[in-house]
Amino acid sequence: MTGQHAPIHLRDVTLAYGDHRVLDGLSLSIAAGSVTALLGGNGAGKSTTLSVLLGFARAEGGEVAVCGIDPAADPDGVRRRIAYLPENVALYEHLTAVENADYLLALSGQPQDRAAITEALTAAGLQERAWDQRLGGFSKGMRQKVAIAVALLREVPVLLLDEPTSGLDPRATADFNALLAQVRTRGTAVLMVTHDLLSAADVADRIGFLDGGRLTDEVVANGPDRFDLRALHARFQVGDDRRAA
Amino acid sequence: MNLLRHELRLLARQRLTVFALALLTCLTVAALAAGMAEVARQRAAIAAIPAAQAEDIGAVAAWIDAKKDAGSAAYYSFHPTWDAPAPLAFAALGMRDVSPYILRIRALGLEAQIWDGDTFNPELALPGRFDFAFVLVFLAPLFVIALFHDLRSGEREAGRGRMLDALPGALALWRRRTGLRLALLFAALALPFTVAAVVEGVAWGTILAVLLVVMAYLLFWIAVAALIGRLRWSSVANAASLAATWLVLVLIVPTLANVAVNAALPVNQGAEIAMAQREAVNRAWDIPREETMRRFYARHPEWADSAPLGPAFHYKWYLAFHQNGDESVAGRVRTYRAGLEQRDAAGRALGWVLPSVGVQALLTRLARTDFAAQLAYQDRIRAFHRRLRTFYYAYLFRDRPFAKADFARAPRFGDVPNG
Amino acid sequence: MSAATLIARDELRLLRRNRVAVIATTLLVLLTLVAVATSWAHQRGIADLRMRYQQGADRAFEAQPDRHPHRVVHYGTFIFRPLGPLAAFDPGVDAFTGNSMFLEGHRQNSANFGDVRQSSLLVRFGQLTPAFVLQIVAPLLLIFLGYGALARERERGTLRLLMLQGVSRRSLVGGKLLALGAVALVAALPALIAFVAMAGQPGALALPMLVTAIGYLTYLALWTAVILLVSATVRRSRDALLALVALWAVTAVLLPRVVPDMASAAVPLRNRLQTDVAIARDLRRIGDSHNPADPHFAAFKQSVLDRYGVTRVEDLPVNYKGVVGMEGERLTSSLFARYTGESYAAQDRQIALVDAAGVLSPTIALRALSMAAAGTDFAGHRRFLDQAEAYRYALVQRLNRMQAEDVSYADDTAEDVGADRRKRVSATNWSAMPDFSFDRASGTDLARGALPGLAMVVGWLGGVLVLLALATRRLGERR
Repeated sequence: MTGQHAPIHLRDVTLAYGDHRVLDGLSLSIAAGSVTALLGGNGAGKSTTLSVLLGFARAEGGEVAVCGIDPAADPDGVRRRIAYLPENVALYEHLTAVENADYLLALSGQPQDRAAITEALTAAGLQERAWDQRLGGFSKGMRQKVAIAVALLREVPVLLLDEPTSGLDPRATADFNALLAQVRTRGTAVLMVTHDLLSAADVADRIGFLDGGRLTDEVVANGPDRFDLRALHARFQVGDDRRAA
Repeated sequence: MNLLRHELRLLARQRLTVFALALLTCLTVAALAAGMAEVARQRAAIAAIPAAQAEDIGAVAAWIDAKKDAGSAAYYSFHPTWDAPAPLAFAALGMRDVSPYILRIRALGLEAQIWDGDTFNPELALPGRFDFAFVLVFLAPLFVIALFHDLRSGEREAGRGRMLDALPGALALWRRRTGLRLALLFAALALPFTVAAVVEGVAWGTILAVLLVVMAYLLFWIAVAALIGRLRWSSVANAASLAATWLVLVLIVPTLANVAVNAALPVNQGAEIAMAQREAVNRAWDIPREETMRRFYARHPEWADSAPLGPAFHYKWYLAFHQNGDESVAGRVRTYRAGLEQRDAAGRALGWVLPSVGVQALLTRLARTDFAAQLAYQDRIRAFHRRLRTFYYAYLFRDRPFAKADFARAPRFGDVPNG
Repeated sequence: MSAATLIARDELRLLRRNRVAVIATTLLVLLTLVAVATSWAHQRGIADLRMRYQQGADRAFEAQPDRHPHRVVHYGTFIFRPLGPLAAFDPGVDAFTGNSMFLEGHRQNSANFGDVRQSSLLVRFGQLTPAFVLQIVAPLLLIFLGYGALARERERGTLRLLMLQGVSRRSLVGGKLLALGAVALVAALPALIAFVAMAGQPGALALPMLVTAIGYLTYLALWTAVILLVSATVRRSRDALLALVALWAVTAVLLPRVVPDMASAAVPLRNRLQTDVAIARDLRRIGDSHNPADPHFAAFKQSVLDRYGVTRVEDLPVNYKGVVGMEGERLTSSLFARYTGESYAAQDRQIALVDAAGVLSPTIALRALSMAAAGTDFAGHRRFLDQAEAYRYALVQRLNRMQAEDVSYADDTAEDVGADRRKRVSATNWSAMPDFSFDRASGTDLARGALPGLAMVVGWLGGVLVLLALATRRLGERR
């Protein structure tokens, strides 16, 4: 089911900054309509993986393809197909939610009218009274909703999330998880990098353990309980021990 | 177009940007108004010459008519010359505040007259004029700094940098933002200027040239801001280093260069010319008059057939030794002038590497208010003075009476080409 | 050690570890040294040159052969304006006023050959002098080093941390003032040392130097306080920097240009042509010396004849031509005095307008102070012009009297071959003429001229300190 034509495809990717190998033979494929969580500690290579996919960093070896396009060769082509939410979704504080969405869509070359935008904002769970408020007072959760609404309207096949649930309160986390499930049903390939095991277990179809720039382990959701949390935790610990060694 | 509207809205909500653009527009308008008022004053002063001159020469003519003496007419008649401001002068007043643009001369020794200055308050001239050139050269870069120092670092510091870069067409975004800021700054300078220039009747070609200079100068400072922006420092570090660059390029290097140019190209003080000319002129009273005349006729054979001098005073001898005096210092004058031209050329040459100086040099050249324009005015005065001499000599050396009607026949400065 | 001293030491340590701050300060010190060296060399150079020219001109005057005194009235003399030692610190208007003057009878010539007309266009960008560095450049350096002093602490949250440690607001702001003040002193030091060196020059006056030193130190203290005031009140350090640079650009660069322009528009000056024509008109009204039937000169002639009890000028014991020359010179000079007086009054009004703008810009006030103390302001130039005119008048009248007493009327009106010889007086007379010597302003006068500027700069400092005290009280409050 995973392969070269998956929206996100990485094979044997290597990348080093000087003597430091950041990615060391990373292979990963994410199919349309699935959510993959990459788990790992600081320096495991999570952010670099996102940078390589976005075309900010160039892989030195291996294959990288987003919807069949090499980000290093055609960064703009890749970026047209990706929505990316950084850890701190910072938007324009002096613009309203609708204006922000309007502007970002225009920047992406896919302008939409107000009706479509408010519809997407509703779908993303942003209440009507917040539509025309300036973003200055928005929480991270609300800003994420605006950004997701933009991603929905852009109808991108790939969504990259950097630590989406860090700093969210439990209720906002639950909202976000529900939203992500909705995005998945549209057939989007989602990659989230996180160090939050519980959050990953809540939404991901598959969890990859990243360490030293390569996947050390992989767990696929299975059955109604999806993941055996105790086992997951144990695997995560192994990774930590190995790093410590 | 739609995107530009978005960017405009973003800019309009930044208080700093709106304030900066409004201030720049106000300063430009004020500088243009000040320049136009100054030029209007200068034109009015020039327009007032004929009335004053008519009164003055009328009084001289009244008593000279009794004796019909051409020598007295030459001695007592002052003839006005003037350097009308070019249409663009209002934008760059250049040297016109410290160099005379009106000078009255007589047919006597020119070197004792041509270096005279007009009345001006040195304390007011000291800091320089507030004109369009000043706003462009000194102030516009500060506004470029205000609008461009955080172009990218601001987005980075707000946490949006990576997200914007992850959007398709991120490069176009920065180009668009740069272009928009450039266009707004340019408009704040260029629109008021163009209106003023059209009112003052500046030729379209000249207006276009000035607009190109404005655009190029803004682009230079934007490039500097972009270069410093590439270092990915914080906004505040960008602002500080840009302001420091401005200080060095606009204030410090030109003043250092001035010291260097004046030291490297020593110019004999003009006072030496004046003193040497005086010695040459006054010596004539102590040497045989025939010696003076011989020397004069040798250089000006067209008058050599004039009647020989009698024992009494004759003005043709007087004017001849004045001209001899001028001719005796002609070499010094040439050297002095060449020295000044060299200094001016060195200053302008610096403009090739220092845009602030280059823009000032270009604007004052276009506005005909630079050193070369001063020299051109001096050349016109010299040409006019030659005509004056020829005019009076035709009476003196031929012993023709000089009557009231002859005053009207004297050459007028306006008759000189480009005068 | 008090809390304020500790804060100051910490701030200075931070600045010392900031490579950019160290480089900038070093560059400023170097720039000041270059300015001091070149300005001093330039001042010495022109002082020597003018002295040499003056001696040459005096020698030429004394070396004249036997001449008719009226010839010497037209031969005239050249005088050169000498420069005081402080001109090396602040040359003021020296480059803009001509430095040499030709003095002759019947005419009042302009001072010619100022540096501004003998230099390239670069001269209009400003002149590199210690005064320029301290007035314009040093405040900008202090801004770069100090804008974040308080804004940075607030932005990073260390401000509350310090206050939680029991540091009072007063000692916090006091400490920062101390630190930035120390930098200001370092920046001013080379200029102050140069100052001490100039004090050893002949003609250096203690009082104006003291006023100048106090003025510049107050000015730098003022900028230090302004920087802390803005840093204390603005939310982010970037805003503090932009606000301070804008403030600097307006007060140090923009206003010093705009205000003189407005002053020259408000008080127009009569140009030379109109002045000359007006003087000629007034002269004609008083009396026409060319007209034998002129009532004024007829009456004058009668009064001279009556005084000596004769009926014909030929019978006078003095040469009437010399007497009438004296009367003519008296008339023209009184008109010169009136018209230049009007022009000076207008220029003084212009300058008063500019000086009043010291309320808007301390740089304008300091500039006035600095030039006045150095004797290089318009008042200093006018002192030269006034003395030059007095000397010119005395010289011309002395020569006219010589004509009246030493040349007989008969010889003077004769046109025979030998007449020219008989009209001349002995060359020994020329060296007996007194040379022009410029009577410099006293130290008290110079210092007095600088006082209004000093009062303004001190007033500025006082006002800003009050505001700073108010801002200190509210430091760290949430807004």
